[in-house]
Amino acid sequence: MAPDDYVGFTFFIGYMAMAAAAVFFFFERSRVDDKWKMSLLVSALITGIAAVHYGYMRDYWGTFGESPTFFRYVDWTLTVPLMCVEFYLLTKVAGAGKSLLWKLIIASTWMLVCGYIGESMSDGSTGHSVQWGILSTLGYLYILYTVWLGEVAKLAEASNSDVVKRGVRTLAWFVLVGWAIYPIGYMCMEGGWLNSALGWGSDNVDLWYNIADAINKIGFGLVVYNIAITSSAKTKAA
Amino acid sequence: MSKEIFIFIASVLLIMPILSVFGDISLPTQLVLSAPFIILLGIPHGAIDNVLYIRGASLKQTHFIAIYLLIIAINILLWVIFPVAAYVLFLVISAYHFGQSQFSHYFKTQKLVHQLTNLLWGVSILSALTLFNLTEMKTVMSDYSEFSVFNSVHHTSGLTVIFGISTLLTLGSLVWLTASKAITLEAFFMEVLILALIFLAFYLMPVIIGFTLYFVILHSFKVLGEEYRFLKLAKEVKSRVAFVKLLTPFSILSFFGMGVVFALIHFDILAMSYGYCLLIIISSITLPHVFVMNKFYKLLFKTNFYQ
Repeated sequence: MAPDDYVGFTFFIGYMAMAAAAVFFFFERSRVDDKWKMSLLVSALITGIAAVHYGYMRDYWGTFGESPTFFRYVDWTLTVPLMCVEFYLLTKVAGAGKSLLWKLIIASTWMLVCGYIGESMSDGSTGHSVQWGILSTLGYLYILYTVWLGEVAKLAEASNSDVVKRGVRTLAWFVLVGWAIYPIGYMCMEGGWLNSALGWGSDNVDLWYNIADAINKIGFGLVVYNIAITSSAKTKAA
Repeated sequence: MSKEIFIFIASVLLIMPILSVFGDISLPTQLVLSAPFIILLGIPHGAIDNVLYIRGASLKQTHFIAIYLLIIAINILLWVIFPVAAYVLFLVISAYHFGQSQFSHYFKTQKLVHQLTNLLWGVSILSALTLFNLTEMKTVMSDYSEFSVFNSVHHTSGLTVIFGISTLLTLGSLVWLTASKAITLEAFFMEVLILALIFLAFYLMPVIIGFTLYFVILHSFKVLGEEYRFLKLAKEVKSRVAFVKLLTPFSILSFFGMGVVFALIHFDILAMSYGYCLLIIISSITLPHVFVMNKFYKLLFKTNFYQ
């Protein structure tokens, strides 16, 4: 790989960072209360699955020098629903039901499948990109509403735990701001409306995806870790 | 995040791609698309000024209406004699009014720094709207001779300076308010995000549609909510239906009044373009409304409405 291949560089960094985070979350499970062990296991799974895919994506990029759309969407289809599972696990203490878990999983899967169809099966037309982009956005908006104003927000408020309230709100910010990079990337692809209307290209989209993935997945996990460790310390002190 | 902000984000995300498919949208089409929302939500938010102002004041309804109409008459006179001054006044008071409603749920008083933030925020978004759509606006305005007097106001370099300074000062005052704990750090980030989203909508969308999205969702919808909750707490209305009934008479009267004026233009009794006339009408109903809303917000702060 060329020394100035910044995209390839971020694939390497992403691979190692995700792997390190997975190991960290997995071993830190022993330091938290039982009720938080599942949350940390899910954080380890998210970063672990991402690390495996980043390994593949790094090789694909190194060999072909192309955007590894297929591997990226496989990674997202597995890890994003798991991120939604974290919301369920965090609010379970306040009475979150299985229906919330399934609604979030279905919405996130819907969002990604529509995004994949819009990106991988594109005929280059704006109509195709916009149609699937809007359908995908509906899934995103459902998740955004649920975590900011809907069931998750209400359950966090009812949890009577400042740590959970703050943690869920921080994760909601990840959904609002951190996840925004993905639709921007989508809209920059050929046929995407930012591409056709403003001429924004997808040349550096992998660079931004890699940075966003590292922040969103590892950051998400660290917020969950902070909730678990703070809450466990409080329980011990009591 | 409030419901209004969520609806605004959802609207921007869903409408922007759809608009891109249609390409350039003509001004009449933009007006047709925007008018129902402005009529149903924009006009009614100022249709109970009489109820809001008279509440707690020793002023009769007839006196209030007389003063209201007098302010409108003075404003129209100003438009006839000094159109540029009237236009700038309209922009400045609108800017203050938009800022005031944007920050109403944070501030518990109306100190100078709060009022300054209101004004700067409003100037920032209105200058952004004009600057980002200057070509489109100039093309439309060039069709009507009355608008030529505003060429001195619509100057790219001047607008760029106003936009840059007002935006920087808005961000500066938000930082100051955060540092002095008048608003939380989260509120600061939310306000920066909203400002960025408004700029994005104004930059990427046709001028009327972009402004309608902001005006209806973030401004009118919020003010209507405040008015309803305030009147419900004061036991003036019992339900949403009763609130709508309260809004109806003056909303209909406003539409009727506009209809009459447009009919006068149509039958060549009034020699003026529809666009210029609409600008004067909007400015004339905005001016007294801003005074009423200023008093309304003072009342909200006094009654600890947001605590």
